[in-house]
Amino acid sequence: MTDAEGPEPDLLRRALVELRQELEARLGGDPAPGSGRGPVDWMELFEGLRRRLSTLGMSERSGEVDEFGMDEVVVRRTEPLLDFLLERWWRIDLPGIEGLPAAGPCLLVANGSGLLPYDGLMISHAVARHHPAHVRPRFLVADWLITLPFAQPFLARLGGIRACRENAQRILQRGGWAVAFPEGVKGAAKVFRQRYRLQRFGRGGVVRLAIESRTPLVPVAVVGAEEAHPVLFKLRTPARAFGLPFLPVTPTFPWLGPLGLLPLPSKWSIRFGEAISLAHLGPEAATDELQVQRLTAELRERIQALLEQSLAERPSIWG
Amino acid sequence: MELTGAIAITGLRSFLGTRLAERLLQRAPGLRIVGLDLRRPYRLEGSVRFHRVDLTDPTAAARVAEVLEREGVEVLVHAAFRRDPSPDVEYDHELETLGSLHVLHACSAVKVRRLVVASSTTLYGPWPDNPNFLSESHPLRGHPAAHNVRNRIETEELLAEWRERHPETDLSVLRLCWIMGPSHWDRVSAHFARPAVTTVLGYDPLLQFVHEEDALNALERATLERHPGVFNVVGSGVLPLSTLLRLAGKRSLPVPAPLWYRLLRWPLQGATGDPPEAFYDYLRYLWVADGERGWAAFGEPVYSTKEAWISFVSARRLRRYR
Repeated sequence: MTDAEGPEPDLLRRALVELRQELEARLGGDPAPGSGRGPVDWMELFEGLRRRLSTLGMSERSGEVDEFGMDEVVVRRTEPLLDFLLERWWRIDLPGIEGLPAAGPCLLVANGSGLLPYDGLMISHAVARHHPAHVRPRFLVADWLITLPFAQPFLARLGGIRACRENAQRILQRGGWAVAFPEGVKGAAKVFRQRYRLQRFGRGGVVRLAIESRTPLVPVAVVGAEEAHPVLFKLRTPARAFGLPFLPVTPTFPWLGPLGLLPLPSKWSIRFGEAISLAHLGPEAATDELQVQRLTAELRERIQALLEQSLAERPSIWG
Repeated sequence: MELTGAIAITGLRSFLGTRLAERLLQRAPGLRIVGLDLRRPYRLEGSVRFHRVDLTDPTAAARVAEVLEREGVEVLVHAAFRRDPSPDVEYDHELETLGSLHVLHACSAVKVRRLVVASSTTLYGPWPDNPNFLSESHPLRGHPAAHNVRNRIETEELLAEWRERHPETDLSVLRLCWIMGPSHWDRVSAHFARPAVTTVLGYDPLLQFVHEEDALNALERATLERHPGVFNVVGSGVLPLSTLLRLAGKRSLPVPAPLWYRLLRWPLQGATGDPPEAFYDYLRYLWVADGERGWAAFGEPVYSTKEAWISFVSARRLRRYR
C-alpha cells in the first residue's frame, strides 16, 4: 500500500529531531578539524534525510481530492520528478504547443504508445507547464491499467481517469481538458515493429464526444515513447495468471525485474496539430454514423501526418 | 399542495422509519402518521398509529390495503428493508422483494397519491468498468454475491414496471449511499468503527457517504413535496479510503483479496449469508453516484462526504470518553 501509517513517521521524525539536537550539542561547539577537506555537514544531511522521510509513501497528502480523485498536493510534490522527465530524461520537444486554444474546454487526441501511461502524463504536464492558463489536462487511462492493483490509487492521484464516455463528458462539460488515446489497448499493446502505425480508432467515440460537447479536437503526435519501452513480443499465457491482457517482453523488462520497468531515455517530441473545430455541426451530427466515421478517419490521418513529420525530423532515437 | 390525509411508513422500527416519523412529527405536530411494522415502536408510542403487519405473510397485500384504506393514507413511505444482510437468505428475499410486491399491490388497490421508496446506491454495484459518477439511468448491476442487493434490484424492477402501469401515483425512489453520522449504525459503520480497518491490498477507491441528517432531509422532502422519479441521495465530494482512515487516525490493514476471500468465506457466509466479496468489493472498485439530480430536488447537502465521516468518527470518540 502506498500509504504509511500515521504514527510511525511521526515517531521516526521526532527521533530524528532529537538525534539532531544531540548531534548539535556534541558537534556544534567544536570548530571544524583543521584538515584539508571541509567537515561533513551533518546538519544538512539530517535535514535532507528528514525531508525525504516525510515524503516516503506520499504520507503528506492533502485531505481533499477533486471529484476524480486527483490530489493537488501529490501533483505538486511530484512536479520536480515530472519536470526532470520532461526536460532531462526524455528532453521533450513541444512543437506547436503555442497553437493550443487559449480558453475553453479542449480534447487532445494522441497516438497511444508505450505500455505505461507516461505519454498521457507527459502531455498533461507539458500543457500545464506551457499553457498560459495553466490548465492541467486529465489523461484517460485504459481499463486494464487503471483497475490494476497499486496502479489505480497512484494514477488517480496524479490525474488519470478511466477512459470511458461518461468521464470524458463530465470533464469537458465542466470546461476541463482531457487527453484521449482512441486506439485504446490496441495502441499500448503494439510491438516494436508496428511502432508509429496508428491502429483502429475505436468506434468513433472521440469524435462523437467532441460534437456533443462542442469541444475542439487537437491532434497530438507523441514520438519517442515507443522506444522508452520497446515491446519485442507479447506473452499471453503467463499473463493470465496476473489478470493482464498480455505480458510484455522488452529488452529489460522481465530480465532485470522491477528495474526493467524504468523507461529508456529516448528523445521524445510531442507535436500539437491545429485544433479542429466541430462547433459548426449540430448535436444531431453525433448520430450521423457516416459523418462520424469520416471525421474519425480525417483525425487519424492528421495524427499520422504529424507522426511522419516528427519521425522525419528526428535524427536518431536518442536525438 | 397541502397534505390532508395521513402518512404511512412501513418498517417504522428501521433507522430511517423511526427518524423520519420523529422529524415529521416535530415539523408538523398535526400530521397523522401511521406505522406498519412487526413490533411496536417504543419511542413513538402514542404519537403514531401503529399497525402490526407482517410483510412476509402471503396475505400481507390485503392487510396493508385495509390499513391504508381505514386510515385514509395519502403518502406511503416504504422503508421495510434489511439494514444488514442476514444468514436467513430466504427470509430476506421474502421481506425485501415480495414484501415490496405486497406493498405495491396494496397501493394499486387503494390509490395512494404518493409512494416514496428508500433504495440504495449499492445497487449500482462495484465494478471495475464503472464510470467515476453513476447517474440514475445507469443500469443496476449490483453484486452477484450480495443477496440483499439482488433483492433490492428486483424490487426496483418491480417499481419501474409499476410506475408504467400507475401514472396517477407519484413514485419517488431515493437511492441513498452509505450513511454516516452520530447515530446511524449498520455493518458498514461497524467495519469503519474499528481502530484498524481492513482494506483490500492494492486498491484505494474513492468513497462517498451521506450524512444521516441529509438522508432524512431528502426523505422528508420527498414525503411532503411532489418529486416523482429516481434520485441519488449522496453527500458532496469524494475521498479515497486511505485518506478517510488517515483523517480519523485509524490504521489500515491491507489484506490481499484472494487470500482474504478464501479465509473469510465460511465465517462470513455464516454471519451474513454472503461471501466476503459481497462487502469487500465495495472497498475495491468504484461505485460513486452522481448526486446532482438529488441535490436539485431536495437541496444541497449540509454535510460533505468528509464532514459526514468526521461527524461519525467524532461521535464515536466522544462516546468512548463519556
